[in-house]
Amino acid sequence: MDVSDPPSGPAMARDGADSAWRERCKALWRAIVPYIFVAPALLFVGVFLYLPIAFSAGLSFSDWNFVRPEAHWVGLENYRIVLSDPSFHAAALNTLVYTLILAPLQIVVPLLLARLLAGLGRSRMGDFYKSALFLPTIVSFSIAGASWLWIFNSINGFLNAVLRLVGMDGLRWLESPDLAIWSVSTVVFWKASGLNMILYLAALTAIPRELIEASRLDAAGPWRRLWQIEVPLISPTIFFVMITTVMSVMDDIVGVVGVMTDGGPVDATTNLLYYLYQKGMQFFQFGHASAVAIIIAAIVGLITWLQFRFMERQVHYE
Amino acid sequence: MNSAANNRLGSHLVLGLATILTLFPLFWTFTTAFTPNELVLSQPIRFWPEHPTLENFRIAFERHPVGLWMLNACIVAIAVTLGKLVIALPAAYAFARMEFRGRNAMFWIVVATLTIPSVIGIVPTFIAIVKVGLYDTLAGVIIPSIAYVGFYIFYLRQNFKSLPSEMFDAARIDGAGVLGQFWTIAIPNVLPAIAAVSMLSFLGAWNIYFWSLLVLESPQNKTITIGIKAFSDVEAANQLWGPLMATALVGIAPILIIFLFAQRSMLEAVAPGSGGKG
Repeated sequence: MDVSDPPSGPAMARDGADSAWRERCKALWRAIVPYIFVAPALLFVGVFLYLPIAFSAGLSFSDWNFVRPEAHWVGLENYRIVLSDPSFHAAALNTLVYTLILAPLQIVVPLLLARLLAGLGRSRMGDFYKSALFLPTIVSFSIAGASWLWIFNSINGFLNAVLRLVGMDGLRWLESPDLAIWSVSTVVFWKASGLNMILYLAALTAIPRELIEASRLDAAGPWRRLWQIEVPLISPTIFFVMITTVMSVMDDIVGVVGVMTDGGPVDATTNLLYYLYQKGMQFFQFGHASAVAIIIAAIVGLITWLQFRFMERQVHYE
Repeated sequence: MNSAANNRLGSHLVLGLATILTLFPLFWTFTTAFTPNELVLSQPIRFWPEHPTLENFRIAFERHPVGLWMLNACIVAIAVTLGKLVIALPAAYAFARMEFRGRNAMFWIVVATLTIPSVIGIVPTFIAIVKVGLYDTLAGVIIPSIAYVGFYIFYLRQNFKSLPSEMFDAARIDGAGVLGQFWTIAIPNVLPAIAAVSMLSFLGAWNIYFWSLLVLESPQNKTITIGIKAFSDVEAANQLWGPLMATALVGIAPILIIFLFAQRSMLEAVAPGSGGKG
């Protein structure tokens, strides 16, 4: 039906044609409007998240950089160079050490705190503890890094002032290669645990009261109750926390390290992400940096896959 | 009964200690920021500024463009938040309440971005930003950051889904079109969710670190999170701890204010059940 049809028929028929046309327009509009609604989101996600991944993979096999405008295929050369770089080894080893220090702490300690908070129920003090413990989560890593830089400062910092007060020598918290990784880990733990605690707390408060009361009748102590009844019930949350924590530890460290140690002393506190930043952005070796990015993605993917593989059997979904 | 009271006391002891340890670095930043720098250096332990002063703030603002850093951070945070809302709201609404081919596939394409480590694409994105002339501009930070909307679309979709269908049927009978239903029915009924994601997005964008560090170079273009790195790189060696802590405090203040006013709805968005009635 076309509106340019000459108005030949009786008025009723023309009205019918018009409304049929309008119906069709409406139907067409209704068919395409969902796509108009989702298009901007898909566009942004495609251009800024998916496309760069494909380009990263390509760049990691080329020798392209700002100095040399044409790109050449170099095969696995970038990977070979990166994998034989001692700084890369240090970064990879540190990433493992950070994960082994931080992941267990950030998974277990917030669960214990959440259990205690849930036990207090809704009370003024409970709310206060909850807000206070969550607070570091919203502070940016670099600002947190600056605050802690001052606490750790070996000349006038608070920690060494306290140590001297009790007659001990001050420690070189950020300058000693053995100690620095622990100092950085402390800041990341301080900063990142609150979020996990809130996630656990939400899961614990969602457990039906009858289940808890049944366990009280069995005279189960609070810790046995946590371990035997609550942990299995909130296992999906624990699983989620494990996956997100292992992934975020790498990210979290960069902001702290950037302000506090610059990866030093002698690579003692660097990690894979910080290594990527130094390769790509300080030295503009885009091929090397992309190879590192792909290696990181492969490691994260592998760990996530392993966690799914071994954990999913333990997780109890309703 | 007695053991219950003991348990409660124990909980307060442990949580109280954890709270003190957690708040101490922020308290220390606060105390140092208001203490004259000579005192900061000569008496490392003092728990309250004895001769409170704004001198540290003056020095900080004089030596570095801290005011501009704050302004830039505000621009980035607001622009990223608005950008995310503009693309997330219609998409979330379509995924929640419209039938169309490819809906589920598209939804998973968007939500799967939550599991992609952001570093993978960072080099090509950086090169693209340089090529289109957005290096060292706030737009270069803002535009790519908007793409991280996976969580917001997921969360808003849940909220649109939970609205009763009768609401929309009534509007349709009154002659409201697709846009009308979206604008006059859907949006006004999920305002609390919109407020929650806006605040989360604002905090997230305020704290963007790695990407800003790559893109912003000139001192006057930096945001506070990377400005403070520039500040500490230079001034920690000069022992200007008072001014450095003043800058840190200035950088924390806006997010602290947002948190104090809106923590309940924020916590509720992150973990339903933790913020509201327990």
